[in-house]
Amino acid sequence: MTTLQIKNLHVAVSGKEILKGVNLTVHTGEMHAIMGPNGTGKSTLSQAIMGHPAYQVTSGSITLDGQDLSEMAVDERARAGLFLAMQYPSEIQGVTNAEFMRAAINARRPESDQMSIMTFLKTLDRQREFLSMTSEMAERYLNEGFSGGEKKRNEILQMMMIQPKIAILDEIDSGLDIDALKVVSRGVNHMRSDNFGTLMITHYQRLLDYIVPDFVHVMMGGKIVKTGTADLAKKLELEGYAGLRDELGLDIVLTDEDADRLVAVKHE
Amino acid sequence: MNEESLPLPEFTKVKYRTWQLDQMNPSQAQSATSHFLTDELGIEVSGTATSYYYLPKYLVAQGVLLTNINTAQSRYPQQLDKLLGQVIANNTDRLTAQNAQKFNTGILLYVPDHTVIKDVIHLNLNQLSVGGNDYIARVLVYVGRQSSVTILQSAHTIGSDTTKVSLVVEVIADVGASVHYANLDAFSGKTTAYIHREADIRDHATLDWSNVAFNDGQVVTKLVSHLNGEGAVSHANIMAMTHHKQTQGFMTNMVNRGRHSLGHIYQRGVILNHSTLVFNGIGQIIKGAKGSDAQQESRVLMLSRRARGDANPLLLIDENDVTAGHAASVGRVDENQMYYLMSRGLSEKLARELVIRGFMGNVLAEIPTNRAQQAVINAIAEKLKNEN
Repeated sequence: MTTLQIKNLHVAVSGKEILKGVNLTVHTGEMHAIMGPNGTGKSTLSQAIMGHPAYQVTSGSITLDGQDLSEMAVDERARAGLFLAMQYPSEIQGVTNAEFMRAAINARRPESDQMSIMTFLKTLDRQREFLSMTSEMAERYLNEGFSGGEKKRNEILQMMMIQPKIAILDEIDSGLDIDALKVVSRGVNHMRSDNFGTLMITHYQRLLDYIVPDFVHVMMGGKIVKTGTADLAKKLELEGYAGLRDELGLDIVLTDEDADRLVAVKHE
Repeated sequence: MNEESLPLPEFTKVKYRTWQLDQMNPSQAQSATSHFLTDELGIEVSGTATSYYYLPKYLVAQGVLLTNINTAQSRYPQQLDKLLGQVIANNTDRLTAQNAQKFNTGILLYVPDHTVIKDVIHLNLNQLSVGGNDYIARVLVYVGRQSSVTILQSAHTIGSDTTKVSLVVEVIADVGASVHYANLDAFSGKTTAYIHREADIRDHATLDWSNVAFNDGQVVTKLVSHLNGEGAVSHANIMAMTHHKQTQGFMTNMVNRGRHSLGHIYQRGVILNHSTLVFNGIGQIIKGAKGSDAQQESRVLMLSRRARGDANPLLLIDENDVTAGHAASVGRVDENQMYYLMSRGLSEKLARELVIRGFMGNVLAEIPTNRAQQAVINAIAEKLKNEN
């Protein structure tokens, strides 16, 4: 079993503190969802775990099986078993999808045991078909000219090819129509096993209808303020984040507070 | 003609006078051994001799001529006269005059009217750097009316003497012709070179350059498209990489003379170590070239603090009814792309190589054969190996 442990994590971006003491433990075999209003630090958490250079850990710790991530470069974290499906994947011309994924797989294997092209292509074909992606995507340049939906699928395809221990999915549902959402969810559910853990970040409860989490955490004001089961997400959908804040008696201003209230009223 | 009295060509911001490019003696060296071609359609000229030749019978039957320029002088004087000095006047400057007077090797490709050639035509030039003398070559290409060709021209150095190169290429794309001229310049670190390519593009003809400058030595490269015809089109796509202490300087020029003509310059350069790379781009619209379009974009990536890079765009417009624009930048490696690749486990070194390849990806993608693309990819990796 692999464990990602986050203790009292404080993270700043260009000198401004965004995360103010996050505590969270993810084991392989578990699916966690993090929900929360806009601007509350959900994406900051995912970037800090992966090690984006713009996100500074000012105090607290992130460890993977006891190993301190702050001492590891981004690529070392990836090879240790972390994966981040990004909200805005980069486009890189001149580098094909297939070449990139094979390089990513082989980066995890010793020089003497690199995956052959044939084995790689067989695996790629299988996973690609599972995600209803066309065969020409393999020879297309990495994310170049991909639609929003294609990019998200491509992130999930990479995850399936790389087989990480713990994957962070940062708003993998944003910009997806319902069919694409089903396909992406199929990919994530397919990965579900005792050797795989997930931390899903989402605004909406909708994703959780397709990927049912074991735990739901609510983030507000740079902290996790409540943890529960999948039912917590349903409750939030009804009451909005402002409702939960008031119930918990938190002194936090929500960015889109009025919109949230309107939603809450409508549901009543 | 007294070549001494002519000026040296202008390469803004490139200090190359001390290279003594105007003092060359042509080498007589020759080799019959093929170095780079095995079964491709095309010709390889090593020194002054032809070292590889394959032109399929069906093209011979259609009247296509492909020869060593020395053979052309005796056997095809008529075709030679139609081309030699017709695009680049012999008295343009001191270096073209020198080339016209002294060239003793090169290639002639003559494609008659209404000839569509699907296979890539390889034109390989090998400088034999032995005996201390210089390599002075001329390449002439004529593509007839409504004809279409793709040319892959490579230039290499064989040998390790310190020498110079003068390579001048003249291309005519006649009415309605479609030409893709890709070149891979890879002269050695001990070769100081002057490379000059110029094209006359006539009514409704297209000439696209894919210019890969992966030389290791001191090089100035001039590239000019004369958009003489109505609706003439030319894209000059250039990728260059400099390393160690070398300098590569470019002067890329589009001259819109025909109405509704289009000239686009797109340059991408990567600079390593102590090297210098200068991109000059000139979009020139002559009075009367109504409805024409001149665009240019030059971007340079600096990978070392000791490197020097310049991108100088210039638009000279003498007509009102036109569209024109330019963009230029000197920057560093895209951090977001690096982060993305490394987040998948790729080492910093490999990620950097891929990001750099991506930076030049537009030009790379247009190189006409997989083999040549792979050669460029390998060359990028090779140059990065010696970084800093």
